Amino acid sequence: MKKRLISMLLAGTMALSLTACGGNGGASDGGNSAAGGDENTLVVYAWDPSFNIPAIQAAAEAYKEKNPDFVLDLREQSGSGDIETAITTAASSGKYDSLPDIVLFQDHWIHQYVSDYPDAWQDVNDADIKWDDFSAEKLDYSTIDGVHYGVPVDGGTVITAYRVDLLEQCGYTIDDLTGISWDQFIEIGKVVKEKTGKYLMCMDGDGNDLIYLMLQAEGVSQFKDGKPYITENETLKRVVQTIVDMAKEGVLLLTNSWSDYTDKAIQGDQVAGVMNGNWIIPTIEKVEANSGKWEITSMPTLDGGKEGYASNGGASLYITANCKNTELAKDFLAYTFGGGEGATATYDNALKNGGVVSTYIPAGQSEVYNEGVEYFNNTPIYADIAEMGTHVQIIEQSSYHYTCRTQLAAAIVNIINGGNMDEELKNAEDQLNFEMGN
Amino acid sequence: MKKKKGMNLLQKQSRAGWLFLAPASLMIAVMSFWPMISAFITSLKTGSSANMKWSEPIFYNYTRMFSDQLFLRSVGNTFLYLAIQVPIMLVLAILLAQLLNNKDLKFKGFFRTCVFLPCATALVSYSLIFKSLFATEGLINSILVNLHILSENYNFLGNPVSAKAVIIIALIWRWTGYNMVFYLAGLQNIEYSVYEAAKIDGANGWNTFWKITVPLLKPTIIMTFIMSINGTLQLFDESVNLTNGGPANSTITMSHYIYNNTFGTGVANFGYATAMAFFVFIMVGILAFINMKVGDTRD
Repeated sequence: MKKRLISMLLAGTMALSLTACGGNGGASDGGNSAAGGDENTLVVYAWDPSFNIPAIQAAAEAYKEKNPDFVLDLREQSGSGDIETAITTAASSGKYDSLPDIVLFQDHWIHQYVSDYPDAWQDVNDADIKWDDFSAEKLDYSTIDGVHYGVPVDGGTVITAYRVDLLEQCGYTIDDLTGISWDQFIEIGKVVKEKTGKYLMCMDGDGNDLIYLMLQAEGVSQFKDGKPYITENETLKRVVQTIVDMAKEGVLLLTNSWSDYTDKAIQGDQVAGVMNGNWIIPTIEKVEANSGKWEITSMPTLDGGKEGYASNGGASLYITANCKNTELAKDFLAYTFGGGEGATATYDNALKNGGVVSTYIPAGQSEVYNEGVEYFNNTPIYADIAEMGTHVQIIEQSSYHYTCRTQLAAAIVNIINGGNMDEELKNAEDQLNFEMGN
Repeated sequence: MKKKKGMNLLQKQSRAGWLFLAPASLMIAVMSFWPMISAFITSLKTGSSANMKWSEPIFYNYTRMFSDQLFLRSVGNTFLYLAIQVPIMLVLAILLAQLLNNKDLKFKGFFRTCVFLPCATALVSYSLIFKSLFATEGLINSILVNLHILSENYNFLGNPVSAKAVIIIALIWRWTGYNMVFYLAGLQNIEYSVYEAAKIDGANGWNTFWKITVPLLKPTIIMTFIMSINGTLQLFDESVNLTNGGPANSTITMSHYIYNNTFGTGVANFGYATAMAFFVFIMVGILAFINMKVGDTRD
């Protein structure tokens, strides 16, 4: 009898506490849908506490100069994937009230989101934003059929970072790796691998961005007139061949997953070079022992003789259909990230606190941008990045960017494992066409 | 005398029975059957998830999957896991159960707990542990290199064949103990006198196992088979967390591919994904049916 009583009590407590959990969840959801309730509050979703969250906080601080009653309710999500899921769920069900007022996500998504969920967004065309002062390539993402949907936060300008101390051991300087061809890069990479045991390049083999980056440096896209441009694309074939050669020669380390790329390859000190969007810098900087040993430069190109520039990722802020205080949201974005009076404070603090490099060209002239960075051998890397950002060529974007990346990444893994290049690229193109419904 | 209107006792009981059943039936209908019907309707639609239209022809999503190379590969992978992992696992489970059923064994409870313990670990966490064990810089590599079995660290999860092998090993580790418990329960239902009689008749261990243990365990074996087939066809966590379907989709399972078509890669292709889910549902049904027919001993 006693036993039964105890077990019932225990079960009861458990059931109660579970309901309590559910209740709490419901309450916070309720708070969420009240996004537009207060006239001076904006709810924003962002995900990286060491990168984009400090940037948005900096903007909120700056905007308080103009509007002291302003409250920014910044809700941290555990990853960019959570934001994408939230958008898909809300937009698919048509119940936008679960969305925040403003949401931050990676620019590659916006084409797909606008074509799939046209009612989920509010454009920012009439906001007082100095569009001409942004890098054209960045704006090209968030502008669809001439309509501006997003306000840029961070740029994805690609940096190629090298360990200059290791290069020196092999008899090279960073200038020897600037403006070279990929073939020369491979030759240098072989020497570096032999003398230091480190890879001169690394990338996540599963979400392989190299193809996109190397193609953009040539000014070529994986898409042409909305269709996949793969098997007919000679530049793409050369790029793929280069990647395969690099992997086979031990110059390129392709990891199994993104976390292997950041935690094992870069922070595990297996590499002498990293090439990716400049948001990778905080990851590199986590290895304190290597402070002062890195420097950055532009990308190699297929034919050499010129410097390569590309952009990867980077996010913008988008106003959702759930936002009731649209004027406040537009004013906030225009005053801060959009180049208004609060822009300098916003961008300077975003850089200082989060390492966020803007694509707002005048930001690059501020003092903060031109200070030497100790980790990168006291070179003013942020000014360099801002400058590099202006050279990135505009190429055709597609809603199927990530689908294409997945297919080509699979093709590259297969080719490295002995597959035939033409066949694998044909498969990738077929699968991509299949998913696009062509 | 007026006849009393109303129900007799039997009718009253029957009404009470239905009343008791009603809440649960209603819950099942609302929580389970209604979503199924609504999913079936979704599977006949295409287009962006916010604005779905009837597909044309109406079974387009169903015919489409048979020309989707990636889906066919995921089906192939799933059946490969099924064909290799399930037999190995069930044989191991039956052997372990046989060992642990030994009357003279000491610390039986301890050993049984040890074998069963993997089942108490969450799917995601054990997948992540296997991922780090088999990583290029992981424990397995260190051991193999130090024992001079491998000359240099091998990228187990980067090669299509070894990545599949790792998933199978992980599955065996996770589920053998679970099935063993069923066999153990089955074995304990077999009267010891049957074995004694066999011993007196001069049957050796091999004969006893095949002629007594296996036939008497048959219902349990069929049940574990159906459960394992069902579980393997819906395999998801291992594929997502251990290999993320890679390298180059060579380890992706059907459920993982379905997930990728909804939230996994953000494409939100709900119509196509539900159609594939129904395909899996039908396959599980057919396999379970065959299994039950084959195992049916009634005349």
